[in-house]
Amino acid sequence: IFCFSSVQRPADMNHTKGGLVIFTANSHPSSREMGKRIAERLGVELGQLQVYQEANRETRVQIQESVRGKDVFVIQTMSKDVNTSIMEMLIMVYACRTSCARSITGVLPYFPYSKQCKMRKRGSIVTKLIASMMCKAGLTHLITMDLHQKEIQGFFNIPVDNLRASPFLLQYIQEEIPDYRNAVIVAKSPASAKRAQSFAERLRLGIAVIHGEAQDAESDQVDGRHSPPTVKTTGAIHPSMEIPLLIPKEKPPITVVGDVGGRIAIIVDDIIDDVDSFVAAAETLKERGAYKIFVMATHGLLSSEAPRFIEESAIDEVVVTNTIPHELQKLQCPKIKTVDISMILSEAIRRIYNGESMSYLFRNIGVDD
Amino acid sequence: MPNIKIFSGSSHPDLSQKIADRLGLELGKVVTKKFSNQETCVEIGESVRGEDVYIVQSGCGEINDNLMELLIMINACKIASASRVTAVIPCFPYARQDKKDKSFFDIPVDNLYAEPAVLKWIKENILEWKNCIIVSPDAGGAKRVTSIADRLNVDFALIHKERKKANEVDRMVLVGDVTDRVAILVDDMADTCGTICHAADKLISAGATRVYAILTHGIFSGPAISRINNACFEAVVVTNTIPQEEKMKHCSKIQVIDISMILAEAIRRTHNGESVSYLFSHVPL
Repeated sequence: IFCFSSVQRPADMNHTKGGLVIFTANSHPSSREMGKRIAERLGVELGQLQVYQEANRETRVQIQESVRGKDVFVIQTMSKDVNTSIMEMLIMVYACRTSCARSITGVLPYFPYSKQCKMRKRGSIVTKLIASMMCKAGLTHLITMDLHQKEIQGFFNIPVDNLRASPFLLQYIQEEIPDYRNAVIVAKSPASAKRAQSFAERLRLGIAVIHGEAQDAESDQVDGRHSPPTVKTTGAIHPSMEIPLLIPKEKPPITVVGDVGGRIAIIVDDIIDDVDSFVAAAETLKERGAYKIFVMATHGLLSSEAPRFIEESAIDEVVVTNTIPHELQKLQCPKIKTVDISMILSEAIRRIYNGESMSYLFRNIGVDD
Repeated sequence: MPNIKIFSGSSHPDLSQKIADRLGLELGKVVTKKFSNQETCVEIGESVRGEDVYIVQSGCGEINDNLMELLIMINACKIASASRVTAVIPCFPYARQDKKDKSFFDIPVDNLYAEPAVLKWIKENILEWKNCIIVSPDAGGAKRVTSIADRLNVDFALIHKERKKANEVDRMVLVGDVTDRVAILVDDMADTCGTICHAADKLISAGATRVYAILTHGIFSGPAISRINNACFEAVVVTNTIPQEEKMKHCSKIQVIDISMILAEAIRRTHNGESVSYLFSHVPL
């Protein structure tokens, strides 16, 4: 799918500018994998850096080479200690800024707190808070992948490149699923219908949408209000001024719109975290006649008991990318497979550093992807 | 008091409750939890529209998690139209990595002092305080120590590290005379406690009869507790800016000074628009 120009040697990359430095600011060893892969593909060494937690749990970041006048790329994957990963990144970015780096680009394959990007009751739009903190710390550019909501790009006042994993997942389907032409792309809820559609189009397959009871986990629910509710006082408001209350939704029983009988079902989504809804969808699809069930998602968070639930479910295979390290989960559940997307991240870094166009990386990406 | 709400983060609920009790208020309803992917979630459980909000969160324990929780709470209150949001941070995190300074903030900062509470404790708990000597475990704390010594009208001493040659370990040198005196080591924080334990040894071998340590923030990370248990302190006194219950179970030498009244009074004065500087030299009753 991608034909890249041959990897340039470090000497070539330093031609006119101060130079390129790539750091990975994760203290967790499994989180440094992505950084190592990207550096390998680009043919550069990772920058000298020490990141660790002190005895009192404070994060300390010590940069051990000069970044003055250089284009710095900070690759940060989210470990299971999300808040610490964020703090490591902020301290790193700020340190580079105060050391006069020419530019600081954050490479966050999975953007944290992206499920808290909408107002819920009296909550906070944490994604916006984190975006503000990163910009304030000195980030000048962000590269990420498959943002949960594309509008998150608007939370930043710096350029954001929202790369897509779909070409890799599509390639996996075509190469690893023998009778994929007999498959149906499934959306486990109406919310992911657009994504299912964009996959189905590119594979020339049909889609199915599941709708009904036991839907999204709490974090995805937008409760229809945008601010705390007004207090309901019984006699105080004049009857004609009463604000009509929203009719509560009544969930129909589970329905599958589309035919999956005698087919392979491929459920696609951007994030797979708590797997209850996926397991329930797989049950339903099996009942409706699907003979094999795949789940393809970009970000494999797979928190807490997810691997065990997947192992015990009707799902045959779960395919995720390596945006989030999940080695532990793979050991617990052999159904989990990984697709490596480091090449698109390293290509993005190369193009940004050389000031080349990024549009090649977005060809064949539909509006709905 | 109208229009005031106090919320507690999860770092030090005990101190928050004490502060609320002193102000005669209930703590505000808030749910703080973590999703299964370890992301923090905060939901304020009551209206804060138009209220003067105070959020109490100490930089202790899992600092990054507590810091994120605080930031999200502040953000949530602002979005919910609180009229003013003030963070009450008894132990400020990352204070040693860069010198926390008023100039780093764009907003008003009130840096309160535990000194008045420390002076009160010394007078009430050390019999021979009139003849004691206040000691700083390093040269940087000289100002802090002389301030206390002057108010008690006693002498002071300090210990400083002397490096004779490049590859040699630092030597600790005592400047001042502690013979036959009760020595009181004073510092702002006790983290791994290597320095103060060495200082205590030094003071005993220089003739001090008893050694106390009074430290504002008792972080006690790593080998701190075992070091204190093996050292020659009469008592190690810290304030309750950081929860100490667990540590006190492992070390009988630790005593705690309650500073909730200082924080409560600061909150009350800020809310009423009164001067806070009174607290720099007095302990509220």
